[in-house]
Amino acid sequence: MREERKEQGQIPVGKVQRAAKFISTGAKVGGNYIKHYAKKIADPKLSREELDNDNATDIYDSLSQLKGSALKVAQMMSMDRNMLPRAYQERFSMAQYSAPPLSYPLVVKTFQKYFSKTPEVLFDQFTRSAVNAASIGQVHQAVLKDKKLAVKIQYPGVADSISSDLKLVRPFALRLLNISEKELSHYLAEVEERLIEETDYELEVKRSKEISAECAHIPNLAFPQYYEELSCERVITMDWLTGNHIKEWLLKKPSQKDRNRIGQALWDFYHHQVHELKQVHADPHPGNFIILEDGKLGIIDFGCVKVIPEDFYQGYFSLIKKELVANQEELDKIFYSLEFISDQDTEEEKRFFKSIFKEMISLIGKPFHEENFDFADNNYFDQIYELSDRVSNDKMFKKSRQARGSRHGLYVNRTYFGLYSLLNQLGAKVDTTKPDWLL
Amino acid sequence: MEKTAAKKTTKVDKRAKLIEQFKNHVLENGKEPVSVFKFTQSLKMKEVDFYAFFSSFTGIKRAIWQTFFKETISILNNQEVYNEYSGREKLLAFFYTWIEELKNNRSYLLTLYGTDKLPKSSLPKELGGFRQDFKEYVNEILQVGEETEEIASRPFISEKYDEALWLQVLFIFRFWIKDHSEGFEKTDEAIEKSVNLAFDLMGKSALDTFIDFAKFLHQSK
Repeated sequence: MREERKEQGQIPVGKVQRAAKFISTGAKVGGNYIKHYAKKIADPKLSREELDNDNATDIYDSLSQLKGSALKVAQMMSMDRNMLPRAYQERFSMAQYSAPPLSYPLVVKTFQKYFSKTPEVLFDQFTRSAVNAASIGQVHQAVLKDKKLAVKIQYPGVADSISSDLKLVRPFALRLLNISEKELSHYLAEVEERLIEETDYELEVKRSKEISAECAHIPNLAFPQYYEELSCERVITMDWLTGNHIKEWLLKKPSQKDRNRIGQALWDFYHHQVHELKQVHADPHPGNFIILEDGKLGIIDFGCVKVIPEDFYQGYFSLIKKELVANQEELDKIFYSLEFISDQDTEEEKRFFKSIFKEMISLIGKPFHEENFDFADNNYFDQIYELSDRVSNDKMFKKSRQARGSRHGLYVNRTYFGLYSLLNQLGAKVDTTKPDWLL
Repeated sequence: MEKTAAKKTTKVDKRAKLIEQFKNHVLENGKEPVSVFKFTQSLKMKEVDFYAFFSSFTGIKRAIWQTFFKETISILNNQEVYNEYSGREKLLAFFYTWIEELKNNRSYLLTLYGTDKLPKSSLPKELGGFRQDFKEYVNEILQVGEETEEIASRPFISEKYDEALWLQVLFIFRFWIKDHSEGFEKTDEAIEKSVNLAFDLMGKSALDTFIDFAKFLHQSK
């Protein structure tokens, strides 16, 4: 216990110290570049991967000491695998599991404030220390009337610190994502909006109930029940799902059939949300899924839900039509409507971006072009990485005076990349269903 | 809370009545009464009766601080889980409960100690009794902490721990007085982080190992 607490004491207090933390990382990253070029002079064969590795370690070390939105941004970056060099991905996905705990007296205080009762009075049993950490809160296990419950409690002050945290992350995101200042602002506005929504636990309970009711008919899925009377702005109480996280489950070497079944459930879940509900659980990171003992896929945490506007939906998904790639005129129209290109662009820019986006689309849309798709195919993912590497190192993108792509695309892309990479981890082959209007 | 207590005992406990009336006066007039004479007159009491309990208004204010403390401790002792806490958690629980107590009297405290009214370095005299009570309380925690090795005992410095924690009380009080966040959440954060820092500093750390090593080198020269 003492060891555990100690971690928390090391969290930098206040914005100044947090800024100091970031600055020291900045200096270190800079140092790594110098080290890299010094080494490179001595040994020209030195790969960029080694440098990325050094950087990832330093940035991770510094981010892991922060809670709240900075950690959330780290998560996001680890999700958008396409945007990150490989070396960063591993380190960042670790960040998803390591946030320091809230003291028990503060938990008691939170309960007294919202329920006027201590957790011991409210529940038959309640664990003193957190059993799980989420980026903006922690999870305790409780028992009430022989029912195991998960109780999620939000860290105080998270909502207030989002804006200032995001400002701190800016210089890093600029460097890591290799995009223009303008483009970053364009996206961060969207990120901020989602993060602020995520701190609203009452909204989360409402959405969880809605989406789980709407998806209840999909085979092989399981949703916890949510308890409104035991939830409030800062606390969410729901059923405890017993099972394994995807990584643990895979260690048990499940059969191909089982993996396909889970993969299909996952695909169907997203298909229904995107095409029927037009709002989607936009946080497909492995920690939000649990494989239950009866073999069903349990879905937890509806903190991040993206509502997909109708006009964006039409444009975005008509891109997956296979024959569209050949139809230049229609394609141009969609590119304009999704803000990939605009009238401000020169002819050369237009030609360049069109060809890049076309390549992206035919790659990303590939699973949709067939009846079923084998996500175990690493070749496919290497192609994606290769393309995004090429994009992120291209001068045309950095020079670009404007943000490209609708802001709504950020979370929808994130969702699909998350989904694809989960399916890749599962090594699943799934029937890639398409909405009727695209057939 | 104070009110119901006062109601029950108006006839018997003049002391409680005096405290209550003093608070009311501060709340309604935005300042202390002009003199003991004026104050007792408005209560239709003899001035002499006042001195039976307090020698001055400072004495009343002193008693008020001590009531907050006593109330906090009795709430804590009523929480079953409190006794199972480590030193760190006990102190955290103390501060959270204490701030809740203060919240019930925020207007009174703001009137007397609001922005700029609390001196930067020296203490208002009326905090003396509370300081004594708090130090006694915290010394008990520290002692247990040393026994369980939650806290490192260091020559000379250990004796100052209680004083350092008292400074923390003042820090948290000042922070809360100036806190404008919703539900005083910033104060919660300040408590969480400052108590953790204090206990990390008091706990065994690399510094102790370093001093030990330095001592060894010095002695074996």
